[in-house]
Amino acid sequence: MVERLGIKMFFLVVLICFLFPFYVNASDETCFKCHKKAAFFSAKVVHPPVRSERCDRCHSPHVARYKGLLRMRPVKLCFSCHEKEKKGFFEGLVHMPVEQGLCLKCHAPHKSSSSMLLRESVSKTCAQCHEKLFEKKRYAHAPFKKGQCLRCHMPHNSKRPNLLVDDPKKLCVKCHNKRCPKLSSVKASINVAKGQVDCLSCHTPHASSQAALLREFIHDPVKKDCSTCHSGSGPSPDKCFKCHKGVRDQMNMTHSHFSSRVGISCTRCHSPHAGDDKNLLRGSEYQVCRNCHGGTYERYKMSRYKHPDIKICSGCHEPHGSKHLAMLKGNGTTMCVRCHESQGKFTHPIGEDVLDRRTGQEVTCVTCHNPMGTEFKFELVREGKKDLCIVCHRAY
Amino acid sequence: MRKAKLITVMCCISITMFFWLIPPSWGRGPWHWVMTLRQPKIKDAMINPTALYIDPHKGNYYVVDSGKDRLLSFDHKGKLLHIFTAGDELDLPMDMTRGPHGNVWVVEKGKNSLSLIDLKAKKVVRHHLKVDGRKIYPHRVELSGGLFYILDKESGDVFAFTPEMELEKRYSCGDCSQGFIDFKVYKDILLALSMDQGGTIYEFSLDGQLKKRLSLDGRALFPVSVCRGPSGYFYVLDRHDSRVLVFDKQGVFKYGFLEFGSSQGQLYYPIEIRFDPWGRLCVVEEGNARVEVFAR
Repeated sequence: MVERLGIKMFFLVVLICFLFPFYVNASDETCFKCHKKAAFFSAKVVHPPVRSERCDRCHSPHVARYKGLLRMRPVKLCFSCHEKEKKGFFEGLVHMPVEQGLCLKCHAPHKSSSSMLLRESVSKTCAQCHEKLFEKKRYAHAPFKKGQCLRCHMPHNSKRPNLLVDDPKKLCVKCHNKRCPKLSSVKASINVAKGQVDCLSCHTPHASSQAALLREFIHDPVKKDCSTCHSGSGPSPDKCFKCHKGVRDQMNMTHSHFSSRVGISCTRCHSPHAGDDKNLLRGSEYQVCRNCHGGTYERYKMSRYKHPDIKICSGCHEPHGSKHLAMLKGNGTTMCVRCHESQGKFTHPIGEDVLDRRTGQEVTCVTCHNPMGTEFKFELVREGKKDLCIVCHRAY
Repeated sequence: MRKAKLITVMCCISITMFFWLIPPSWGRGPWHWVMTLRQPKIKDAMINPTALYIDPHKGNYYVVDSGKDRLLSFDHKGKLLHIFTAGDELDLPMDMTRGPHGNVWVVEKGKNSLSLIDLKAKKVVRHHLKVDGRKIYPHRVELSGGLFYILDKESGDVFAFTPEMELEKRYSCGDCSQGFIDFKVYKDILLALSMDQGGTIYEFSLDGQLKKRLSLDGRALFPVSVCRGPSGYFYVLDRHDSRVLVFDKQGVFKYGFLEFGSSQGQLYYPIEIRFDPWGRLCVVEEGNARVEVFAR
């Protein structure tokens, strides 16, 4: 009996010894019998596992669940080595591709002619998504022109808005300090040097068709007379309402963003001087809303089923004030049927003649759906097979 | 054998007694639904009610129906008594209180005023309030100790005005970024809620001194209303999470209850919370257009 077991063990050891060299081979030379070696090494930067010919670190030679015969999901694979980076990447505001685990959106997995294994140069990589920023304009900020996006922005995450490397008021002064002859002629130069002036309120850090990199849309009083706003008492929404009378009416609704407190007054969202759109918003609408409603975005992001592409909040919500729930522009049906025309005509009965027996409220699309995201298909507020219906149709 | 039978019987009795003696509220959480204040005619239901006032002397509830520009009164059993429109003069009412002579004071958003409805003279007198020459935008109102306490939407501060509408006191959260979103006045304190840092409760003495500042510790998604319970606990209404959160006097979270939905005992876009004189908790639901009353 013992003798038989010994013979078996002997053959097992021989088999392992025989197969091991083939296994090692599979991870280097074997791959390059088919995959041209030059295609992986002829570049300035080569990913260390490729350089050491350890294809098997990422790829399975036989079968795999993931595209490219990857052993794991790409993001999981990257962080299996880049563990240190993983800890830091998710602090503060996180760049969307990082958040979604799309490392390969910016980085090449094998080799690259750009540093940090970027697929292309920094600016071209950024322009993949931020194409609007790179539209040709007459004037451009020097670092932007040279493609040095990373002089001001962090690529993965940052504690500051717009993934800036420093406080925006301090960042400009790093280069445009007091020694700059143009600044010394400006009355506010001392404050600029101290980092107390919000340069971005008037200037764009990227490119503009206006000289001095002024933003594209200038607030009328800036063009005519600063004292329209800069006189008398300190900043207050009443000053804005003198011209923007319609906005005052919206602010007097049951729900509004009305406030004069420093952190959340009109100038929290709008620049009083200049902006890149006609509403003089301080960034894209998505960014401006997310600054305060981060939790809502977080819940939207985490929801299993959600309405696609809701970056334009003002499509459904009134940004200043509204008497409707959730500061919607209309009731829960009028907002939806603008796009969902057929559902507006052919659906479960809705409208002012159809009342929810539980509350006496008009049945609208949002009685059953929550476009901001739910755990159920079609963004239903409950499971659509039974749970949703029986809350009203109890007899069934 | 007899002994075993006796033990079995004793066990059965103990188990029965145990379940019989359990307070009914155990199975339903600390609070249970008692009644709902709403217009019984379903076709004339309220739309977006925003506030509740309780007259402690008459024992009646008054609900501000902002969507239909009217006020509804109910008795303490929840029976609808009157529907009042002030001759169709109300313009987006937000909150209300009653004066010593029975007159009604309403915050009218549409007119940006604190409006006196003189019931005898049958007229509405609108007061446009100012502080230091600046217009204020009333959002919430309470009447206590002969003073009108008004939450100004613009500054986020609470102002106390005399009946002649002269400023008496100011209650501010100081350097907080968002100001107050709700407040309540009690005999000894003014309680206010700010959304700052995920929600903060401020407790002022009536002379304006800040006594306590309690953080909600990020437990609320969107805190909109606060009140103090009979035991001194703080109750915070979370609009987005459709829940009521309970904190002790030191601000330690104790428990949360209620959930999202439109059925009885569920919340949809709730907007205000307050206790009635009988120790019952009333939640004004804007989304479900009703006031739900809960008791222990």
